[in-house]
Amino acid sequence: MKFLLAILLLISSFNLPAASDRISIVGSTTVLPIMAQAAKRYRHLHPDIILTVSGGGSGVGVASIRQGTAQIGMVSRELTEQEKNSFNNSVETIPIARDVVAIAVSKTVYLSGIKQLSIEQIADIYRGKRRNWKSVGGADTPILVIDKEASRGTRHVFAKVVLGHAQARARGASIITGSNNEEQAAIARSDQAIGMLSTAWLNDQVRALAIIGANHEPGSLTHITDSHYPIQRTLDILLPKNASDKTRKFIDFLLSPEGQKIVQNVGYLPIH
Amino acid sequence: MLKLYCTLSAALATATIFLVIGFLVQASWPLVQSQGFTFLFETEWYPYEALYGMLPAVIGTLWSVSLALLIAVPLGFSAALFSAELLSEPARQFVRFGMELLAGIPSVVYGLIGLWVLLPIIEVQFDLLSGRSLLAAGLLLALMILPTIMLLSEDAIYSVSKAQKEAATNLGLDWSERLLRIMIPESWPYVRTATLLAMGRAMGETIAVMLVVGSIDRIPEPWYNLLEPAQTLTSRLGREMAEAGVDSIHWSALMACGLLLALFAMAVAVISLRPTTPTEALKKP
Repeated sequence: MKFLLAILLLISSFNLPAASDRISIVGSTTVLPIMAQAAKRYRHLHPDIILTVSGGGSGVGVASIRQGTAQIGMVSRELTEQEKNSFNNSVETIPIARDVVAIAVSKTVYLSGIKQLSIEQIADIYRGKRRNWKSVGGADTPILVIDKEASRGTRHVFAKVVLGHAQARARGASIITGSNNEEQAAIARSDQAIGMLSTAWLNDQVRALAIIGANHEPGSLTHITDSHYPIQRTLDILLPKNASDKTRKFIDFLLSPEGQKIVQNVGYLPIH
Repeated sequence: MLKLYCTLSAALATATIFLVIGFLVQASWPLVQSQGFTFLFETEWYPYEALYGMLPAVIGTLWSVSLALLIAVPLGFSAALFSAELLSEPARQFVRFGMELLAGIPSVVYGLIGLWVLLPIIEVQFDLLSGRSLLAAGLLLALMILPTIMLLSEDAIYSVSKAQKEAATNLGLDWSERLLRIMIPESWPYVRTATLLAMGRAMGETIAVMLVVGSIDRIPEPWYNLLEPAQTLTSRLGREMAEAGVDSIHWSALMACGLLLALFAMAVAVISLRPTTPTEALKKP
């Protein structure tokens, strides 16, 4: 019995000091690259602080803050009224970067001539009214419409602009993916796919479409600054008002010139 | 003292199952209160509009598990017969070792293999928009439960007593007769248990299925079209569990999905409890 007690004490003595210095960051996979880089740098500067960063989506970020399982939540969309009410002013939202949600297609689709679409055309595709690339000027192949989990920030922002409201359904969707990584892989692997992606995930295999009416090539950061790309957003963090000083210091770091430099390096636009 | 300890342990172990079921029932009760039991037969799942139809996921679960069993049971059983009956002892140990390794691979690894190897093959073979389908889920699950079925069946076949084997040979039965009349009937109850265990694993498997099934709430059209993306109960739990606020109806609906899974697993267990008479075949004149 004494032996058991001794072990218990030993375990708790390991855990207690660590717990106070542990900052757990959870939520949007769009914000994740910023946090991962920032945490890496911050650990280097302050080896005594343990930062853990994990994804899950904006919805998970909000839920983790509400349940108190994380110290910082990452969200890539505005909070809903319901969410704001549930926090009852006990949580602040701090913007740390800006981004656009690009309409992304597979390389093959892009090269077949689909370089721009109007909001209506994209909406039709997601509502299931257009099912073939031919109907919007492409090759005669069916469209693989990739939707995202309903709780994802990217989807909220996309659905609000394209489908009319943040939680609109997309009946034309063929498959559902979760994180940006999963969506990117699914688009890249198909020759017929369309999806929604944060700019930081665009590459040679996954190309962004221009949106007709904006008269701009999207994806390039300059068009986010002058507000021409229609599907924009700020990337935020949620911070409970009773957050510890150590947590706040990390936020200060994110908003400092060095932190904002990281934001730029991973492919987003600084907030200031 | 020891007796008391054993009694307590037994009570605790037995209580766990009731606690789990009790918890699930209690947690899913708000859903039943607000919507009755209609969610079991409805086809639309969209928590943001308070739609919690579970039929597509139930069908998806049953389809993927049945497909996996349909593929893995004959394959695993034949492999077990081969290993137990035809291989030399060192070779047999080697094969078993391989199977044990296969059984120990974490499921997310299978998921990634499915994603990068299986999906492209299915896409090309069946000329599909996306390889994410019930077929992909079924094949992947089959691969995952194969070691369970093979190892347990192999044990059973191998341990059919030497005396019986020798008696059969002495009676002049050839290899195939011995197999059909003795080895298979003798080991059958164990194979059945292995199948049911494997079924449990297939039903509860989450991450690998989630990556390849498509996660869309749709009943295949027509219903037997395994090439369509679909949803399973576990894939939904994996995707939505973390975001649902505790105590919301959404949470409650997910708990109901968990309860359904638990009930399926219990049904399987009850079936496997049916008394078995392994020597029945031998008693026949």
